[in-house]
Amino acid sequence: MTTLFYLLGYLAVIGFVVMACMKIKTYLQASPLHVRWELYPVPHEGERATRGGSFMEDKDWWTKPRHIDHLGDIKALLTEVLFLHATFEHNLKLWFRTYPFHFGLYMLMGGTIILVLVAFLRLFGVDPQGGFLTFVFNVINAISMIGMFGIIGGGIGLICRRLHDEGLRKYSTPEHFFNLGVFIIFALVGLVAWAFNGSFARISSDFIYNLLTFNFEPLTSSTFGLHMLFGFFLLIWIPMTHMAHLVFKYFTYHDIRWGDTPTNYSEENKKKIGDALKFNVTWSASHINPEGSATKNWVDVATSTGVPSKDAK
Amino acid sequence: MKDTLQLTDISTAEGQMVHIDPKDLPEIPGLDLKPMPWRPFTEEQKEKTACILDEVCVLNIPKPANKQEEEELVNKFINGMRKLFSKENNWTFLPMLETSMDYCAQCNSCSDACHLYEMSGQNEMYRPNFRSEIFRRIYKQYVKKEPLAKWRYGDMGLNWKTVARLGELAYRCNLCRRCAQTCPIGVDNGLIAREIRKLFSQELGIYPRELHEKGTVNQMSVGSSTGMTPDVVKENVEFIDEDYTEITGVGIHTPFDVKGADILLLHNAGEVMAWPENIAAFSLIFQEAGLSWTLSSKSVGYDAVNYGVFYDDAQTARIALQHMQAAKELGVKKIVMGECGHAHKALTVIADRVIPYEYQVPRESCYVTLRDIVMSGRLKLDPSRNNFPVTLHDPCNIVRLMGIVQPQRDILHKIAPMFREMPCHGVDNYCCGGGSGFAIMTRNNIDEWRGNISGRKKMQQIAAAFKDCLGPETKKYICAPCSNCKGQIREMLEHNDLYSKNSFAYGGLVELIVNAMVNVNPGFIKWEGDEE
Repeated sequence: MTTLFYLLGYLAVIGFVVMACMKIKTYLQASPLHVRWELYPVPHEGERATRGGSFMEDKDWWTKPRHIDHLGDIKALLTEVLFLHATFEHNLKLWFRTYPFHFGLYMLMGGTIILVLVAFLRLFGVDPQGGFLTFVFNVINAISMIGMFGIIGGGIGLICRRLHDEGLRKYSTPEHFFNLGVFIIFALVGLVAWAFNGSFARISSDFIYNLLTFNFEPLTSSTFGLHMLFGFFLLIWIPMTHMAHLVFKYFTYHDIRWGDTPTNYSEENKKKIGDALKFNVTWSASHINPEGSATKNWVDVATSTGVPSKDAK
Repeated sequence: MKDTLQLTDISTAEGQMVHIDPKDLPEIPGLDLKPMPWRPFTEEQKEKTACILDEVCVLNIPKPANKQEEEELVNKFINGMRKLFSKENNWTFLPMLETSMDYCAQCNSCSDACHLYEMSGQNEMYRPNFRSEIFRRIYKQYVKKEPLAKWRYGDMGLNWKTVARLGELAYRCNLCRRCAQTCPIGVDNGLIAREIRKLFSQELGIYPRELHEKGTVNQMSVGSSTGMTPDVVKENVEFIDEDYTEITGVGIHTPFDVKGADILLLHNAGEVMAWPENIAAFSLIFQEAGLSWTLSSKSVGYDAVNYGVFYDDAQTARIALQHMQAAKELGVKKIVMGECGHAHKALTVIADRVIPYEYQVPRESCYVTLRDIVMSGRLKLDPSRNNFPVTLHDPCNIVRLMGIVQPQRDILHKIAPMFREMPCHGVDNYCCGGGSGFAIMTRNNIDEWRGNISGRKKMQQIAAAFKDCLGPETKKYICAPCSNCKGQIREMLEHNDLYSKNSFAYGGLVELIVNAMVNVNPGFIKWEGDEE
């Protein structure tokens, strides 16, 4: 049973990584090069980003070296991810519910990352009973408790909002409530484990250490085991749902909303346009393929007028 | 239906799905905007066309006559949807479409950003997510066929009414993408509306005739969506030169087809017919600034419009390619886009990854070129000639979607001492109400729709910008440097008689510049009651 539990743990982590990678691969393979679809402000525009300006405000912009303020992008992405800035600005009522929920998740994710580092320290001989790691565990205990309260409070708040706000109710499906419910139960069970065991952080650290060292020691707390089972399920489930925005926000912001690279600055893109134009087109409307040719690619379409040649003026 | 409308009503509602009473729409403080009663559909329309969404009918989809035709419509739609989600047929937009399908959290943060939702009295149908969510559910349930799709994403009936209403619903959006700007995740409801339009056009051959037959097809066969042939456009511009030489007191000559000129100026040809003063003003400014420039008389090369960006990728690419070819043939160093927002975006941004680089010619916004001229001191300008309140409308395509925010402001700060911003300006602007092709449509209550719903937010902004001087005693100028936006604002002013009630005049940026030029006869800009 203990071995199965650990195996489920590996499966969850591998499942999350594999599914997230598959989704990313699907996104990247959806097009060799999508059109520019930027939306201003674009934060890597430096000083002018504050008013939403772009390089296209410059005379003969194509003759100038391209400057990208990567720090601006990072700052904007962090502001959005850490503080849910867009929701704060455009949907404050929701922000008061969703922010504690997300903050709780960040606390637990942050705690997990620290415990993975701790496991490596333990591998290198740092004593888990020693002063330094005891301090770290105390910190983890604090942030995990705050995190779980955040998830429970925010999750209940989000369910209430979805039930009582007329606009949201119409767009909420059973899956929305299911997702929130699983998160709340995950955090509730975790809170029980936290309250009725000596140190939640120490149990968690032992589990992660054992996972990394393939040492399938039995768990000392069954509530912690249950908490973990819910966690394993969420790891597998998240990439299959809209919650994969956890990963895809990078692409929707960085690649689409801020993807403003003009073709004259990218040799790679110049080539990709040529490749994409060779794709066959099978749209059926008469103006796409007026001659009814068996095969037609985008070059054929773009260089035709869309009317049969006998009718063309 | 406002409060009870459900997503599934799109497939189940009998007859017209949504009714909006113009009398219930929000008031615009300070302006006397008359509600425009909807004209009822004729019995023939009711019998033959699927005008079953609301009081407006853009597409005039023929009503299926029998079960077989109903199924045919649905099957064609589903086939189109499959193509929309294939790399080969939609490499241009697929990544954005897929992320918008998969990651929406249904938080509805986008609703309050939409001028249509606000100005329809928060009608459920106008939530930006209403249309998207219907499309999303169809995709998951009938195209992707995901397990448990009904439970996970919600059920959605798919029948001919769903298809007909969804097609029409894609034309209840100005594609301004203000909603996308507010989305915490990066979902783009404007994109989804455009993709639905595209599916209907490219697969079913269903489009608004103003955009297709009278628009892109006409442009490619005759040379311009206005119907002007190369000879006619040259003749008209010659007349404009003559007229405005007399009006301004400065000899104007607009050059055509000058090989090796630095600049090809690409106007929206609608300006030639509707706003000749804009053509004259450009010519005068470029001439007086000593630029090396030309217009093209090559077919399509004298009309910057590209209505393809509103509904069809093939038409977009065809027209953009012809614009580039016109510039290549003249051997110009750059194309300067005239005061036309969608043309800016189509040729500068969209064409950038559609037209092979070797066929491209650099494109610059006229706002940038004009700023350079005004700031360089090449024109003698007297700002006191513009000593009246001026506000600026930001065309979505140029500002939010291209980030060209400051050049037009630099000009106004230099030449218009009483310039004031609207609330929500720059990249936070609102659409004029005519965006995405509506400014050129009039039939089947589209005019009324623009007056009652889509154009009201802009009028609210204008009223707020001039709140200290709204009365008829103060002449005011609405600077709207975009043809479609001007068309929309003109309709609002004319219908509500705001020229006389509020002493509004509207026009572009170049008219204001010419109005301040000291070597030009005073009074280039006219208000109602001014002598011609």
